Amino acid sequence: MAAPITTDARSLKQLVLGRKDVQDLSDTEQELPSDLMTVNMGPSHPAMHGTVRIVLTVDGERVVAGDVQPGYLHRCFEKESEYATFTQVFPYTDRLNYVSPMINNCGWAMAVEKLMGLTGHIPKRAEYIRVIVSEMSRITDHLTCVGASAMELGAFAVFLFFLKAREWMYELLEKVSGARLTHSYVRIGGVGKDLPDNFHADLTLCLDQTVKVIAEGEGLLNNNKIFRDRMAGIGAMTKADAIATGCVGPIARAAGVDYDVRKDYPYSVYPEVEFDVPVGTTGDCFDRYLVRIEELKQSIRILRQCLKQIPDGPVMSSDHRVALPPKQATYNTIESMIRHFKHIMDGIKVPAGEGYAFVEGGNGELGFYVVADGTGRPYKAYVRSPSFVHLSTAAQLIHGHLIADVVPIFGMINMIGGECDK
Amino acid sequence: MTDVVKTPTPAPGAAPPAAPPAPAAAPASVSLTIDGMAVTVAKGTNVLEAARTLGIDISAFCYHPGLPIVAQCRQCLVAVEKNPKLQPSCQQTCGEGMVVHTTDAQSTLARKQQLEFTLLNHPIDCPICDKAGECTLQRLYFEHDNADSRVDVPKVHKKKVVDLGPTVVLDQERCILCSRCIRTCDQVAGEHQLEFAHRGDHEVLTTAPGAELDNPYSVNTVDVCPVGALTAKDFRFTMRAWELEATPSVCNGCATGCNIEIHHKNDRAWRLVPRHNPEVNDYWMCDEGRLTYHPLREQRLVGATVDGLPSGWDRAIKAAADRLTAALASSKQAVGVVLSAEASNEDNFALAKLAKAWGVTNVYVASKPDVPERADGKLRVADVNPNRAGAVAIAEALGFAARPTMDLSADVRTLVVLGSALPDIDDAQLAELEIIAIASHDRGPVGVARVALPSAAWAEAAGTVTNQKGHVQRMHAAFGPPGQALPAWEAVVRLAQATGAKLGYAHAREVFKDMTQAVPAWSALTWAREARPLALRFAGSRG
Repeated sequence: MAAPITTDARSLKQLVLGRKDVQDLSDTEQELPSDLMTVNMGPSHPAMHGTVRIVLTVDGERVVAGDVQPGYLHRCFEKESEYATFTQVFPYTDRLNYVSPMINNCGWAMAVEKLMGLTGHIPKRAEYIRVIVSEMSRITDHLTCVGASAMELGAFAVFLFFLKAREWMYELLEKVSGARLTHSYVRIGGVGKDLPDNFHADLTLCLDQTVKVIAEGEGLLNNNKIFRDRMAGIGAMTKADAIATGCVGPIARAAGVDYDVRKDYPYSVYPEVEFDVPVGTTGDCFDRYLVRIEELKQSIRILRQCLKQIPDGPVMSSDHRVALPPKQATYNTIESMIRHFKHIMDGIKVPAGEGYAFVEGGNGELGFYVVADGTGRPYKAYVRSPSFVHLSTAAQLIHGHLIADVVPIFGMINMIGGECDK
Repeated sequence: MTDVVKTPTPAPGAAPPAAPPAPAAAPASVSLTIDGMAVTVAKGTNVLEAARTLGIDISAFCYHPGLPIVAQCRQCLVAVEKNPKLQPSCQQTCGEGMVVHTTDAQSTLARKQQLEFTLLNHPIDCPICDKAGECTLQRLYFEHDNADSRVDVPKVHKKKVVDLGPTVVLDQERCILCSRCIRTCDQVAGEHQLEFAHRGDHEVLTTAPGAELDNPYSVNTVDVCPVGALTAKDFRFTMRAWELEATPSVCNGCATGCNIEIHHKNDRAWRLVPRHNPEVNDYWMCDEGRLTYHPLREQRLVGATVDGLPSGWDRAIKAAADRLTAALASSKQAVGVVLSAEASNEDNFALAKLAKAWGVTNVYVASKPDVPERADGKLRVADVNPNRAGAVAIAEALGFAARPTMDLSADVRTLVVLGSALPDIDDAQLAELEIIAIASHDRGPVGVARVALPSAAWAEAAGTVTNQKGHVQRMHAAFGPPGQALPAWEAVVRLAQATGAKLGYAHAREVFKDMTQAVPAWSALTWAREARPLALRFAGSRG
């Protein structure tokens, strides 16, 4: 499966140049050379999501080996977190999977809340809001993934339709959080602020339109011969391989692994809503596409239930260890002033210990492992990023396929640079 | 941060210290139980300190390990079994078999309520308070109370700016009346200059009748103040405490060598605070020493010069080497080397070693003259040179006479000077000499030097100094030297290589190691690990 390892300079040169020197060719070899050729894909390539480089070794049009080299978007997330207070890490998590930042926010908050013993003590309304913004983020994530992949296969209309719908979500999330992309909305102990006025009507309208857009996209893609030919049977992964390589999320589910953190390790208010987990059979690109489309619909279903069930009440825990005092009190009483000062300057005091919390991210199980030493900042933070695991299978998946197939395979892996490179 | 070389040694030149005296009868100890944990401490220890050895942080304001105990803040109340009332743990001496509870409902509530009382009239000053970020009141409230305010009456207002004396300003509203400052004046300076006046919520801190807060140790009251009531005029409103980083070092103000922390940010020092060392300065330092960070930014020599004109290191070293080679070729007596009682052991040793390699015998030790009126029997001494003992010990260990510069030999035509002080040599004499200076500051002989090489000042390079009592203490570099300046020993090494002498140090550690082999009294010393600056923001309150 791996590229043949060439050590001597001459064969290495042939591998790189893709041909022998003319004087080395025998009379019978004067025609097309059949030697392997090395082609760079990326780091900046219009059909590569994010900045990642794949060094392809090709035999004609066929990929013999691919050396996948991530790391171009490395931002020292884990090390930087050690020099920020627990609250200041939220903006860093925004930049992990930047098409679904709300889910990352929730994951980090849950890890810290676990260490503080706050799990299960977050106000109900805050939990519902977290689920709402998470599912909206999942929709933006899948719309981006499917839309971009369709575009790379020539279906430009789908891309435009889906990104239009994604923009509706972004606009709504901007109303909620104040930022279009890097929300930093969730807080340890709840969320930053309540939902804006008229949110129910806005989201309902947005969902109704999004359903139509998805149907439109499906209509253009599902029975489209070009799309099916390019997707079906391409980049297939067996269930056993998916488990062995640690794949999660839509990729593992497309291969038949029935694993969804929201169902298997329920958190927040997911037990209170009904939804199904789509599972594929073939594990190829087309199944990954179908799983994502179905998850879009399930997310919409969850959102509609949440809108019905969300209770009134506070959106932030009243625990003084994590809650900032109201501004009125901060400016007028010394107690709240000190608490405000300590929270901002020294950070929330998290008792010494270590904990792991994980959520179903856009790409699957997204986990945060946090070690606290009793001060206001993490002693160590680790992120289990699904993209990083999935990318490790890319070399296997593209093996034996045509160069053109690298694009849909890579698109359906949905490697997000920020999450993969941390 | 106790990684300083603290090996006490007798006066340099004397025999190395004998083995520590065999311990007398084991000191009497008592065993007690605190929160279910058994602990054995020396007899006479108070419950608060015993709890701290177990990692139990009992809240306290007025207790300070270096001051007499008054138990007046009532913040450290704990429950002691068989005792009907709560006891202040700072005043309660540990007794055999005593059972203490710090987490029971009664004492926890008492401490919470005490904090509420303390905050009752406390102004809402954190955003403009110099102590914010290192305030004991903030820390204790956040860790032990953290409840909302229940006050619905106006706060009592007092005077916000009371000038107590030349160094310290008082804000009476912020004062929580712990009396630490009063005891500090009485205990450390030996002068009763502060007092409480009035009663109840009108009680204020004020100066004693006819006195003002004016003693050589006055700023220690600012360090011990658990809130922002006392602020130092030198530091107030200059830098937020939580943005500073702390690096351990030793005060270079005099021969006492008080252990300090340099609080720095953006490559400059903002204040010096004392660091606990029971063998040298306990918890204190003098006001004069606190101001010694200012010269780090004054009159600095930041580039090498030849004949007073800027030049690069290479050209300056070559010019110096040319002059020295010629002078040494004419006569070894024509070259003199001046060590400095203000420079570190490493700098002095490297230069003395170079003098030895050149075969020079005219070696002198330059030092600032004594200031007899400084000596007060406490921390301040007459000798204002941080390292006279070290410079003399090094010179003697290498076989030099270590004469003062007053005895400058008439044969000397070329003088290699470490530091920028050349006392007892008048301008006429100076004009006849050819000076090659390795100095951090551009003054004194540096102005007329043929070649001047810029060196790091005390806060900018790793090294050791030897105080009057013979303690060899480690300084850590808080930030880098300005401009082209290098640690002086490094300049010496460059000079050595240019003159063909064999001197190949690559790190202050190597100079130190060589030095401990050369100076018998220091043979047992080791080089401590480099200390990384500690961000005060995450160090927790240090009150």
